[in-house]
Amino acid sequence: MTGTARILLVEDDPQDVELTLRALRSENVRSPIEVVRDGEEALDYLFCRGLYAARSPDQPPTLVLVDLKLPKISGLQVIDAMKSNAAFKSIPVIVLSSSGEPRDIAESYRLGVNSYVQKPVDIMEFRKSIRALAQYWLEVNRSPFAQKPLKLQ
Amino acid sequence: MARLPLAAHNGPSACALAVALVISLALFAAGLSAQTAKPTEYEVEAEYLSNFGRFVEWPATPAGESFHVCVLGQDPFGAMLDAALKGQSIGDAPMAAKRVATPEEAAGCRILFISASKSAQLQAILTALAPMNLLTVSDVSDFTKRGGMIQFLPEGDRVRFEINLSAAQKAGLTLSSELLRVATTVRREP
Amino acid sequence: MPGIRPYSIRQKLTWMNMLVSGAALLLACMALAGYELADFRQTLERRLSTQAQIVGTSSVTALLFNDPAAARNTLSALRAAPNVMSAAIYTAAGVVFAVYSRDGRGGGVPGQAVTPAGTEEHRFTSDQLILTRAIGFQGKNIGTVRIQSDLHEFNDRLLRYTGIVGMVLAASLLAAFLLSSVFQKATARPIMQLAETARVVSREKKYSVRAPVTGNADEIAVLITAFNEMLEQIQERDTALQAAHNELEASVERRTAQLEAVNRELESFTYSVAHDLRAPLRHIQGFAEALREDCANTLDPTALGYVSRVVDSTRRMDQLINDLLGLAQVGRQEMHFRPIELKNLVEDVAREVAEECPGRNIQWHIGELPVVDGDPGLIQLALYNLLSNAVKYTSPRDPAIIDVGTKRDDGERVIFVRDNGVGFNMKYAHKLFGVFERLHRREDFEGTGVGLATVQRIIHKHSGRIWAEAEIDRGATFLFTLEPRA
Repeated sequence: MTGTARILLVEDDPQDVELTLRALRSENVRSPIEVVRDGEEALDYLFCRGLYAARSPDQPPTLVLVDLKLPKISGLQVIDAMKSNAAFKSIPVIVLSSSGEPRDIAESYRLGVNSYVQKPVDIMEFRKSIRALAQYWLEVNRSPFAQKPLKLQ
Repeated sequence: MARLPLAAHNGPSACALAVALVISLALFAAGLSAQTAKPTEYEVEAEYLSNFGRFVEWPATPAGESFHVCVLGQDPFGAMLDAALKGQSIGDAPMAAKRVATPEEAAGCRILFISASKSAQLQAILTALAPMNLLTVSDVSDFTKRGGMIQFLPEGDRVRFEINLSAAQKAGLTLSSELLRVATTVRREP
Repeated sequence: MPGIRPYSIRQKLTWMNMLVSGAALLLACMALAGYELADFRQTLERRLSTQAQIVGTSSVTALLFNDPAAARNTLSALRAAPNVMSAAIYTAAGVVFAVYSRDGRGGGVPGQAVTPAGTEEHRFTSDQLILTRAIGFQGKNIGTVRIQSDLHEFNDRLLRYTGIVGMVLAASLLAAFLLSSVFQKATARPIMQLAETARVVSREKKYSVRAPVTGNADEIAVLITAFNEMLEQIQERDTALQAAHNELEASVERRTAQLEAVNRELESFTYSVAHDLRAPLRHIQGFAEALREDCANTLDPTALGYVSRVVDSTRRMDQLINDLLGLAQVGRQEMHFRPIELKNLVEDVAREVAEECPGRNIQWHIGELPVVDGDPGLIQLALYNLLSNAVKYTSPRDPAIIDVGTKRDDGERVIFVRDNGVGFNMKYAHKLFGVFERLHRREDFEGTGVGLATVQRIIHKHSGRIWAEAEIDRGATFLFTLEPRA
């Protein structure tokens, strides 16, 4: 286990990917961010198989940002797969979804997500959410993986 | 009370009624005019004489002849008898008064009044009259005792009479029981 | 007939029978008794006449020969006649000749005779019969006989007849009553059964019962048959009505299901459309902003201005989508009715709305509000929309005065939100609650035109009504009810 934070972003829409990355960068999040484009890829990445067979299993992500609406395998399925696996259960998972449906929120929490953030249309609002998110989960929150809290560079 | 009269003659109504009326009026007038309007003894007796005939069974009078009511001896009635007999009839025979001097003359009489003037010859008269079926009437005392049939007995205001029934029977006369009833005495000597 | 009302038919029939037979019998008895008594009077009179004749005839010689004793004797024979009270014979002059009296006192015999007109005269007094007869002899009136008889025989007979009539009447009334009780059953029973059936039908609304049919062919049977036919018809009509009703209900159900399906589809469509529109909108805004940030130095003010307008438009579209989603949500959501403390809710929403616009001078007058039955979430949303509107349209006012209260209007409980804002032209009031309809220019007042549509949908879901009254520049009042009009 290295001390660096690794963020996994699961998002299928390229615009959303770019905007999210933009937002994260504008909030000075320098941690490496891996982007996967669907649920299958996400699981491949986590389990170090398929496309990511070459990946080292001892470098799991320290934070997962997942959208619910994904092709092939849905976000909820990914969450379920992670939270029912001992190795990945303790990884903080944050839902980043455009949906504010109580049903989606309830189901996500039932599966064990750590947080649910609705992507607002307003970009400035989104930036604010990302800032708060990053500040909390990357700075304030004690990760089970990091030895000491990582300061944002 | 079932004694029916033997002589229930139906007189000619109109005349009889008129007579009755006249008599009533006369009596009434007499009563009005006089203080005492009582009829005299002889008036009553005359009336009785006229009535006796109705209560005796007579053999039929031959047609045309009258029913004679005779007076033998001195006539005490005078016009009263004629008045009493006026208009009366027994059967079809009109009643008429007749005065006789001897019993023999009384042969055609039905009723004979023997006057007191003849009281001395009474027995002989009665004997003479015996074969005639006539009714003897008198006011002589002891008349009925001596064989007479009806004896007048004046009593105060009234005139009563005695009847010798056997005498009448001997003469062949049947007297109505009604008459007998109003007699004071009825002798029935055999 | 007054006084007859409370009696049943059976009693009426019985009474009628008894009355009829009683009356008939009474008349007959009275007629018979009357005739009998009249006849008896004649008999009495004839008997007395006979006695007078006999006495008279027997007294002829007594009168003729002036023998009162004999006349008295004749009269005394009248002792054998128990009805003779007294008798007297008068002479032709009218003077008393002989007298007889039963009680020996000789009372009541007039001294002067009244000569009868004709042969004989009789007179009935209240308790006596007095007969006077002329005694004739040879066509002459020689006297008068007068006999006074009491009427005890007559009275006895009268009493006896009355008694008999009474007993007969009582007995026959009893018989009439008994017979009537037996026979009126046959007549009355069908009627009573009919009445009972009618009562059952009326009380229990059961049209399947039928009145029992008699075997006769009289009017009652006709009535019963007609009644049963009527019930038959009612039943048929009922069945037809029920069938029509069921069909109608089924039809309505089908239609409702259809409508509901359509509604659901529509709402689902609205929802997913609104939802799916958000993503590209986010991108537009995101990259417009990125453009502004990254290329600020290469863009001239005009370009930057355009970019701003792009961003503004996306913001606006976002609002629209939210509002539409809200509107769709109202329709899709299941309502959970519970009692709501309206005053508390209004105060909470007012606070929320006020927090969104700090710096505004708003005077809230929240009156006594009732407890209402409704879905709290929806009511809150409706109130939020109404109060935000009030705040929005009073922005030119200082202070803005917003009243929330309740009043009784025509028996209904009405809740109102009144502001002293810019109001609107009542000419366009009918457009108020239309989706996307706005009565003000966007430069003057922000808004998507969905807020009031949402409020209306919420109010309608509570079976209420909503309407508004306003005057230009004098504020507006929005009024609504939360229960159907009674």
